[in-house]
Amino acid sequence: MGKFIAVFKREYLERVRTRAFILTTLLAPLLFGAVMTLPAYLSMKSLKNTKLGRTEILDATGTGFGTDVQLRLTGPMADTGTITVKAVPPSELAAAESTATHAVQSKAIAGYIVVDSSTLNDQGARYAGREASSVGEMQMFENAIKQALVTRRLEHEGLDPKRVDALTKVRLSMSAERISEKGRGGTGLASTILGGALAFLLYMSLVLYGQNTLRSVIEEKTTRVSEVIVASVNTDTLLAGKVLGVSAVGITQQIVWALGALLIYNGRAAIFAKLGLGTLPPVSLPHVSIGMAIALALFFLLGFLFYSSLFAAAGATVSSDQEAQQAAQPIILLLVASIIFIQPILLAPSSTMARVLSWLPFSAPIVMPLRMSVVALSPIEISLVIAGLAVACALAILLASRIYRVGMLMYGKRPSFAELGRWIAQS
Amino acid sequence: MDYAIDIRGISKRFAEHTAVRELSLQVPTGSVYGILGPNGAGKTTTIRMILNVIAPDTGTISIFGQPSGDAKVRDRVGYLPEERGLYRKMQVRRMLKFLAELKGVPGHVADVRITEWMQRLSLTTPERDWGLAKVDELSRGMQQKVQFIGTLLHEPDLVILDEPFSGLDPINAQALKDTVIDLKRKGKTVIFSTHLMDNAERLCDSVCIIARGEKVLDGAVTAVKAAAGDRTIALGLVGARTPGISAVLGNRTLVSRIDDNNRFLEIELTPGADPQQLLRDLVAAGAGIERFERVNPSLHQIFLQRVGAKGVEEGMSGHG
Repeated sequence: MGKFIAVFKREYLERVRTRAFILTTLLAPLLFGAVMTLPAYLSMKSLKNTKLGRTEILDATGTGFGTDVQLRLTGPMADTGTITVKAVPPSELAAAESTATHAVQSKAIAGYIVVDSSTLNDQGARYAGREASSVGEMQMFENAIKQALVTRRLEHEGLDPKRVDALTKVRLSMSAERISEKGRGGTGLASTILGGALAFLLYMSLVLYGQNTLRSVIEEKTTRVSEVIVASVNTDTLLAGKVLGVSAVGITQQIVWALGALLIYNGRAAIFAKLGLGTLPPVSLPHVSIGMAIALALFFLLGFLFYSSLFAAAGATVSSDQEAQQAAQPIILLLVASIIFIQPILLAPSSTMARVLSWLPFSAPIVMPLRMSVVALSPIEISLVIAGLAVACALAILLASRIYRVGMLMYGKRPSFAELGRWIAQS
Repeated sequence: MDYAIDIRGISKRFAEHTAVRELSLQVPTGSVYGILGPNGAGKTTTIRMILNVIAPDTGTISIFGQPSGDAKVRDRVGYLPEERGLYRKMQVRRMLKFLAELKGVPGHVADVRITEWMQRLSLTTPERDWGLAKVDELSRGMQQKVQFIGTLLHEPDLVILDEPFSGLDPINAQALKDTVIDLKRKGKTVIFSTHLMDNAERLCDSVCIIARGEKVLDGAVTAVKAAAGDRTIALGLVGARTPGISAVLGNRTLVSRIDDNNRFLEIELTPGADPQQLLRDLVAAGAGIERFERVNPSLHQIFLQRVGAKGVEEGMSGHG
């Protein structure tokens, strides 16, 4: 146990201490954060500058309707632009419009809206400006005019203005639920995205970190440290310490990132306010039960360990970094194959293929979280697959250990698969 | 007799050749033991089997009475490989601590010992503490010292050194010899392989010579030398060597082999030849004799006698 800890500690600390690790761990969340908020920030910013920016309402209704519209436009976005209202008698509307057109041409204002008696009679309103094709902007104006109109009519029908305000402010968000041939089994799009995201996260971290065990093994072979170490510990302990230590590095980074994401998520109101973005965009997180969260974490962990062990075994068969790429290929192929199956499994999560792939150790860590998110699997099935995966991990470590033991002193030519079989049998 | 290592009839075949064949040897506890042989004779393979890095095909190895794979026994053995085995990017102190922990030494104990050893082998000097450097910042010689410290940090009862003298300058070679003697004084068993006979002769209590994967001879150095007989004569000549003298030395009934050591000739007499006869013939041939002494043959001589140039060539197995 002490020796296992020594190996684990070395693999973990020597990696965590590197500048590269610290930099990627700290900078990646900033990068993610920037990628997620920057586009929103920039588009908002451009909205503020060019769109709502000086717009004039020419009110020819003679009833103060223009002011109603102005209130609805400036209320929630007080700081995104200026809306001015100019009341004009209907007879002077044409003259006022041509003045406004000149103002737009000389860039004094961005555009103008015309409301008159026909607007009140449902005949529509008019807008003219530099950005007449901007969908977002038009929608905003339309909504404001519509709401002002509805409010006015309700008031006309004798409703209390305060009640009208409360009644007309409707916030709607539509949730979508999936109905498949199996009935309403789905738990919604959000959790499907979660399943897919987890599968992809596992894939990404394996591509980034799984090969670290491979490199670690090759380093030991090329520096001949392996001989000294094997004279001190048995290879099972060594490989277990190595695989778990290297995996712990990847998982540490994921945890830091997850905490960072949580921090950003919880503090998003403050962040949006700081950036001057006003309201929060609606974000809905899928509901995940504790049991499901544990199962997902286990699949992630075991998947990581399983592939790391395979990479370690591949490393033991080669003696240089150049050959390593080739040796890693079959393993990457297994990984890619599992990713390719994501689509068909989402379409038919209960098919025979999906079930078979759930039981194979190389695809289970990717397929199971997906299936769990789209169909209800029995806890027994989930537990059994997890147990099977754990056994597969242990076997993979033992396999890697045997290959390591024989491969350690072999330099030069790479072994064929037949030779590998002999190595495993003889050690 | 109490043996630190007891090897009985081990063999190891690799795909294309036999590296070690039916080898048996016993290393007395508390002795300094040399495994001698030409390059590729099977020395390193034997050592790897002792360390349980590779398993013999047949035969048994016991260390302090236990099978060599035993975890407890493993912690009592220190091993210095022929080639350096250190993580290049690791800090020296951390590397050493890791090696100690692999042998079951608690971290805080290891720290104290590392500091002692670093000073003793002058890796920590007032100007610079190399313990804080990375392994690959060190010169080859310094890396060798670090490896040597790593071998001894857990105070092993059995120390196995594979070709420890190769590549050492005279100062470091002397430091190594001193340490070996010191270990012996503390009752530890030291076994090392070498193809440098002079070192072996000066340091070893017992030796085993192997060639082509087989044992040629073994035993205490004094016994080995005595058994090699008293047929060796050290001859020092004054003046030029005349054809007459050369004829005497070329007489196969008297002289079977001559090794010219420059200042004197080491002569091996033909079995049954009378050394007095050789002396008389030399005098008759007009040789100026400065030294004529019956000596024990050097290990070097014994090695050449028993292994021969042919053995050196055929002993090449590529695995040492």
